[in-house]
Amino acid sequence: MTSGIIFDIKEFAIHDGPGIRTTVFLKGCPMSCMWCHNPEGQSRQPQVFRSLAGERIAGKEYRAIELATLLNQQVDILRDNEGGLTFSGGEPLLQADFVAEVIDLLDDVHILLDTSGYGQEQDFRRLVNRSDLVFFDLKLIDGIVHQHYTGCDNVLILRNLHLLNELGKPFVIRVPLVPGVTDTSQNLADIVQTLRDLSGLQRVDLLPYNKAAGSKYRSAGMEFKPDYDETHELNLNIALFEQAGIKVTVV
Amino acid sequence: MNEQLTTLRNRVRAGEHRSLRQDVPIEILTECETRHLSWPRRVACLVRRQCEAERVIIEPDERIVFTRTLPGVPPIYSPEEWAQLTIGRTLHEFGPISNICADWNLLLSQGLLGRKQVAVATRERLVDEPKAVEFLNSAVETIDAVLKLAARYADKAREKGREEIADILDHVPAYPARTFQEALQSLRLCQAVVWLSGHYHVGLGRFDQYMWPFLSSDLQAGNLTVETAEELLAEFFISLNKDSDLYPGVQQGDNGQTLTLGGVTPTGESAVNELTRMILRVSRDLAMIDPKINLRISAQTDLDLLGLATELTRIGLGFPQYSNDNVVIPALVSHGYDLEDARDYVVAACWEFIIPGRGMEVVNIGAVSFPAAVDQSIRVGLTAQDDFEGILNRVSENIDEQIHQLGDAYSRLLLPPAPFYSVFMEGCLEQGKDLSDGLKYNNFGVHGACASNAADALAALKQFIFEDRSISSGDLLSALEVNFDGYEPIRHMLANEGPKVGNNDAIADTLMVKLFDDLADACERYGRTPRGGILRPGTGSAMYYIWLATGHAGMREPVVAATVDGRRHGEPFSANLSPSLGVRVRGPISMLQSFAKIDYQRICNGGPITMELSDSVFRDAESIRKTAMLVRTFARLGCQQLQLNSLNLETLLDAKAHPEKHKNLIVRVWGWSGYFCELAPEYQEQIIARHYFGSS
Repeated sequence: MTSGIIFDIKEFAIHDGPGIRTTVFLKGCPMSCMWCHNPEGQSRQPQVFRSLAGERIAGKEYRAIELATLLNQQVDILRDNEGGLTFSGGEPLLQADFVAEVIDLLDDVHILLDTSGYGQEQDFRRLVNRSDLVFFDLKLIDGIVHQHYTGCDNVLILRNLHLLNELGKPFVIRVPLVPGVTDTSQNLADIVQTLRDLSGLQRVDLLPYNKAAGSKYRSAGMEFKPDYDETHELNLNIALFEQAGIKVTVV
Repeated sequence: MNEQLTTLRNRVRAGEHRSLRQDVPIEILTECETRHLSWPRRVACLVRRQCEAERVIIEPDERIVFTRTLPGVPPIYSPEEWAQLTIGRTLHEFGPISNICADWNLLLSQGLLGRKQVAVATRERLVDEPKAVEFLNSAVETIDAVLKLAARYADKAREKGREEIADILDHVPAYPARTFQEALQSLRLCQAVVWLSGHYHVGLGRFDQYMWPFLSSDLQAGNLTVETAEELLAEFFISLNKDSDLYPGVQQGDNGQTLTLGGVTPTGESAVNELTRMILRVSRDLAMIDPKINLRISAQTDLDLLGLATELTRIGLGFPQYSNDNVVIPALVSHGYDLEDARDYVVAACWEFIIPGRGMEVVNIGAVSFPAAVDQSIRVGLTAQDDFEGILNRVSENIDEQIHQLGDAYSRLLLPPAPFYSVFMEGCLEQGKDLSDGLKYNNFGVHGACASNAADALAALKQFIFEDRSISSGDLLSALEVNFDGYEPIRHMLANEGPKVGNNDAIADTLMVKLFDDLADACERYGRTPRGGILRPGTGSAMYYIWLATGHAGMREPVVAATVDGRRHGEPFSANLSPSLGVRVRGPISMLQSFAKIDYQRICNGGPITMELSDSVFRDAESIRKTAMLVRTFARLGCQQLQLNSLNLETLLDAKAHPEKHKNLIVRVWGWSGYFCELAPEYQEQIIARHYFGSS
């Protein structure tokens, strides 16, 4: 029996997939995106989270059976409402053994994997195979720029993207639009190019940047240091996707 | 909404009509005393004189007329006489009959003259019964007074060239209404006179049921289109907001001018009709606080109707409030209500289920303070070295004692006569009996207040004192004594590490359910009241979540100091059925699951699960639909009542000033939702700014 660490369970997460969903946030992420809005999800370790609402520990360890039992209490309700469970983070791939075991212990329910795509191929396969739908983040196609803004290169991510398509699993690509970083015409064109022939692609969700990205850093005892201009107007180029025949929504 | 309606609404909101009000209430004590009038005749005199003193106001762009000009309700007894009259008796709240519901269909289908005929016939039959004759004479006096007021309005309308209004007032409220507009006008005038007579929390009942026949025939005959009908309805709703600052209540807006929509007919068919939906749309577009809307639903209610209701929730007025027919109807039946009556229930001013025209029920005689029961039992029990079971037994005894005190106080209840209100109650005119002498149903309601805090305290006690033994009973008692001063680690443990209600936690929820079972047991043991009714236990907290924490003038219940759930002295309890303030819960699903465990077949007096969602959570059509599904889930889980709030600026500002009270407040930030209180101040400011501009 494995155990894992999660930093939150949020019910009625209405923007985390179809129907009424409960989202499990896995703690720990290999990336450190400059615009990350869940900084307490980055470290694997429990950490003190101080806010106006008081002090609490973000990060709780669960045994797989313990978490599955908790979630199983409500899967009937989620199923009844066209929804299910979403595993997000942090990065679920980083705790793939744990997540896979939890999913195996769950009653029949729609599973959505919300991932950055950064992880080992076998971990990725394991979780994708256990999911009904995948939300896959795609941020930057240029490897060097990717490295600069996320702390990782994107080779694994792009490889997993193609693997995802080969596995025949339906997926949604989510692109956070960060002004002057991910919303450049070049990057968006590269994304379109990357997605052009992927048959499992359901649609692209564009997530416009909001200045609240940095709001939780202080509470998590961390520092928010964007090197881009947060106030810069976004290049919300929907047409680029539509011209390529890709369905796109702005979330 | 068209321009004319917008203007009308804005004018009423700005209170321009208030300049037409008279400066002082009229004086009628002299007449009452010179003529040596009995109590019923004094009340009739009050109604008549109020009607006579009303100035006729017909605004140029209004089609539903009546604007109250009298600022208050004058006394009918001198203070000395009143003291004499009421000595040794219990008055409910301010005294007058309140918070019941008329059968407005009696007015619309028979007209006041039809009702008068009934009174006259009964008077002939009961000519040898002085009490009956006196009541019927009083009722007839009030009917005549209202008819004269209507005639003065008709004259003035004609004088102003408003023939349409004059014609309508020639006909209603004297005769049965023939059209939707006549029905609205008749109701407006008569309901306003009930307020003018000193009654309050004057509800409008099953508006979509008794109004639908009029609307339906107008639509079929082509006299109205959906659009013109909506305009009339909007005018009627606006008129209900005119006088509300004159209504008595704990807070302004707490006026109980409610209506109840949907549900089933007395024969069990779906009662939802086009008017049900029209009301939800018009209320949404008007965005005014009156009338307050209750929607009866069931596990089978379709998502389209719930979606429309959610659009109303979204604008942040705090309604509709939902009641679950699957739960409420059988519970009423098991408490002695006939099935057809139970199917006809409406929601009173706040939460309680009552039967229009058939109930003289006092649904809120008071609250049992669960925090006091638990706190006293813990303090005494620990000192006496009880085990946990021993403490639970003390809690049951304490609840029983509180019920007996409340019941006994109300065994001396004195209800004043209400001849005009009686006109709209089943059987009063027919039997020559004032409603204060009792109707078909005469039950009392009593609420168990602040259950979550009390259950959390018991759960913490069980875990930390009796099981883990991580806190000694001596330390706990000392910590409570000094309001946790110097005992922060203990307080932190109690507040944050124990089992909590609202997270679908078996331990905490079982204790909460036990509190309500104890309450139901105590009410059953109490038995019948002198008025022939029972005590119905409920789950509302009204203002007690503040009062029990801080005290209030005239309050019977003791103030509860620091409690074992880690709550400091003075901090408020949670409202109705909601997790204790400051407890972090996973969300609405667990919360519904927790409160679904209460045995609502016994706990049948109402009191909503109270849930707050940020209005930014349901902005698009897809999230409206998901919120509708959440409401359906409430019904499917077998919960009883739900109040779903969309948060507005005021709440956000309060969240900023008192974040500890709003830990679960969720706001949509970007492609994600977050807890408002965990955002840094400048981001909170940003969201506040956004809401400010977004609000109407």
